[in-house]
Amino acid sequence: MLTCDEYISPVSLPEAFAAMKANRDRYRIVAGATDTLPWAREGRAGDVHIPMLIDVVKIPELCEISVGDKRVRLGAATPIQSFLDDPALARALPAMPRCAVWFADDQIRAQATVGGNIVNASPAADATPCLIAHGATVELVSATGKRTMQLQEFVTGPNKTALADGELLVAVECDALPEYGGAFEKVGHRRSLVISLVCLAALIKLDKGGRNVEDARLAIAGIGPKPLRLTEVENFLRGPLNAERLDAAADMPVSLVASRTRQEYRRDVVRGFMLRGLINAAQRAGADPGMLVPELEAAYA
Amino acid sequence: MPDLQFFATINGRKVARNAKPHQRLLDFIRDDLNLTGNKEGCGAGECGTCSVFVNGVLMKSCLMPLAKVQGATIETVEALAKTGELSVLQKAFHKTGASQCGYCIPGMVMAATAALRTNPFADREEIKERLGGNICRCTGYQKIFDAVEMARDVQNGRLAATALFEDEAKEGDFIGKNVRRIDTPSKVSGRLKYAGDMAMSGMLHVQVLRSPHAHARIVSIDTSAAEAMAGVEGVITCADVPGEDGFGVFVNDQPVMARGKVRYVGEAVAAVAAESALVARRALSAIKVEYEPLPAVFDPDEAMRPGAPVLHDYAPDNLTKHIPIRVGDVEKGFAESDLVVEETYTTQPIEHAYLEPEAGLAYVDHDDVVTIVSPDQNITHHRHMLARIIAKPISKVRFIMSPVGGGFGGKEDMIYQGMLALLAMKTHRPVRLVFTREESIISTAKRHPSRTVLRMGLTRDGRIRALEMKMVCDGGAYGLSTEGVMRKAAILAAGPYAIPNVKVDTYGIYTNNTPSGAFRSFGALQTAFATETHLDISAERLGLDPFEIRRINAMRDGALTHTKARLTSVSLTRALNALEKASGWEPGVPNSRGNTRRDLDRDDTRPPCALGARFKTAEKQEAAE
Repeated sequence: MLTCDEYISPVSLPEAFAAMKANRDRYRIVAGATDTLPWAREGRAGDVHIPMLIDVVKIPELCEISVGDKRVRLGAATPIQSFLDDPALARALPAMPRCAVWFADDQIRAQATVGGNIVNASPAADATPCLIAHGATVELVSATGKRTMQLQEFVTGPNKTALADGELLVAVECDALPEYGGAFEKVGHRRSLVISLVCLAALIKLDKGGRNVEDARLAIAGIGPKPLRLTEVENFLRGPLNAERLDAAADMPVSLVASRTRQEYRRDVVRGFMLRGLINAAQRAGADPGMLVPELEAAYA
Repeated sequence: MPDLQFFATINGRKVARNAKPHQRLLDFIRDDLNLTGNKEGCGAGECGTCSVFVNGVLMKSCLMPLAKVQGATIETVEALAKTGELSVLQKAFHKTGASQCGYCIPGMVMAATAALRTNPFADREEIKERLGGNICRCTGYQKIFDAVEMARDVQNGRLAATALFEDEAKEGDFIGKNVRRIDTPSKVSGRLKYAGDMAMSGMLHVQVLRSPHAHARIVSIDTSAAEAMAGVEGVITCADVPGEDGFGVFVNDQPVMARGKVRYVGEAVAAVAAESALVARRALSAIKVEYEPLPAVFDPDEAMRPGAPVLHDYAPDNLTKHIPIRVGDVEKGFAESDLVVEETYTTQPIEHAYLEPEAGLAYVDHDDVVTIVSPDQNITHHRHMLARIIAKPISKVRFIMSPVGGGFGGKEDMIYQGMLALLAMKTHRPVRLVFTREESIISTAKRHPSRTVLRMGLTRDGRIRALEMKMVCDGGAYGLSTEGVMRKAAILAAGPYAIPNVKVDTYGIYTNNTPSGAFRSFGALQTAFATETHLDISAERLGLDPFEIRRINAMRDGALTHTKARLTSVSLTRALNALEKASGWEPGVPNSRGNTRRDLDRDDTRPPCALGARFKTAEKQEAAE
């Protein structure tokens, strides 16, 4: 059970930083709270008393969303459901709606935030790998300054990030990828509300005829301490789109599985997800139907 | 701790109250406003019994800090049928029989309402997806989806509103007919009060201190600091039991709270009644218990070996119950067989996972009758046991069975009612205990884990000549229903098959694991799993179809079972034939299919798990435009 002496909801960054400074070591930042409340229960942190909870979702900078031609800016308090409800976001970040539909459930998505998923830094986070595939950078702000860094460098390990004392994650910026096809594959013990055993985000951009891969972006989570971007596979995939090359690409990340449990199963899943994710992304990017072998499609798409 | 000055519009009414800054929205609507229609099933956002609308968006109130919804407009399940008239969805739930225990139903109705508000034309797949955050343990969901589809069609004018009316059934002609449950309106509207929803004036809140050790001697318990705390009205340990401290179904081996030693992690050691659950929880941490850890045993086979740690003095061999069955001569049967198959089968402990965690209310009434209200599946037996424990005549003990929010056998054991009685007697006030989901899982009985060695002898034509089975079950720390489970497991071990030579032994064994107890099927699952799997393996070895090997051995009308029950009619063959037809079974040996199976990708088979029905709907709409 989580108890606190005070729960405040600052409406500006300076107000939040002042509260953080005045309550150093006795506060916790809350965004959606959907991870914080289950954390303070029997079997995890147990009964927890935190003198001050600072809720950041009413700070305007954390709620801004802007979709530009090159980059998309998401305030850290953007609810995950926005990727399903906001057509402009869905167009600019084509794998995010596919990710969102697998993220918890409709109800929790309306409350859970992009920033919370990132800062929580679960090795099985769903949104984080998908954002990484979209080329995300994070904007970290403190009372004295601002810095940005790549999202994959920000998450350093299980529940560990590069967030410094007194800093807030204010926004995430992604590449706008409207010409890409996006896919997100996930498996766990049930369909909704499940922690990923493996999840994979895939984005593919094809040439006009739908026969050549101009760009591919892939990121994976659930198989090690932190999400990974699969740059080597991305480089390999640039070129003709065909079943043999997809097949070869699917094998490449299998050796990255570093989880301590269910390694063999996860390796099988990674291979299957690579094929399914790439085929789905390619189809959504307008692949020439002749380029994908029907058997492969039937088995994986 | 400064109060939170909370204001909001709840079910159309302005609410302004002082609240605690740590409260969740769920606590506020249930405890402060007494709107108990929405439930707490897990407290961790997993089950959806607490789903409410916040500014028109469905959210899980157990994950919602109250301070977050300051000034918001909130609708609970009570808002859906505010005037007493059920909504179309609620009527559809009534019509299709979508509510059973009813505990998940208020949340389910809310999720269904949200789904149809979001997409009034959602198809079944999309409905499933949008209800994905809500769990039902009873129905298997199909009737719930039927109800949502029916409501959708009535709302869209595709189906006449008369579809929601009760089907006419002739008096006395109910089998196979759709007869509406009379308790459904109370469940779909959230009006039905489960034990955790009930409150009494002056009521205290109970919390239980549980053992962190699997096996340990209790050297001392010091409750003085807890008793001295403001707001604490009573603390009890085994020292407060006035009568014979032992209960159980077949053997009274379990104390109300640990006496002398603890035997499993999660066993109750002490309990506190206080003005609030928070004060009671804080008092628990002020109780000092000194333990001396003892060697523990977690595997029933190890517990049967000489020299293993002993749990109960009365059972030095850790044996709870052994049930032997002997028919004919199995050695002779094996000698007559062409094939003898031997395999070992294991099953794991299983949690019942009813949506309603255990809860109970107790008070001593004006006539000194100790009264317990709880979702108790065996109140008469428990009433007799409690009378002995609290040393009162049976006329001074009353059990009231509150609606059971799912039981599946898991609420057949009297594991907390004794503590409630003692605290009501000690404090002279009503007391209520509501388990958390975690507490329910850690402390209550599970299905017996089993290890079964099965040997079967068959002739070439598939006839079973002999069956020899030894099943060892982990009964955990206390007896509970173990004896009955071992009996039924043994009785049904050889299945509905005519086998001339049978030797079955089932053993229930004490270990320091969570106790095992009643769970629907009551032992039949474990032995049937072994026997039926064994038949498939045997069919494969003999080159027979799995249906055929069962038909060959099926008991027929007039059969005598292995425990000498005469069966005047046996429907097994009819059931097998119907199953074979309905499942689209391709005749053949089990391993004859491989890559050539033809039962996939048919209209009536399910594709693998996926999400994204809403994208398909959107694509369809785009295509239509």
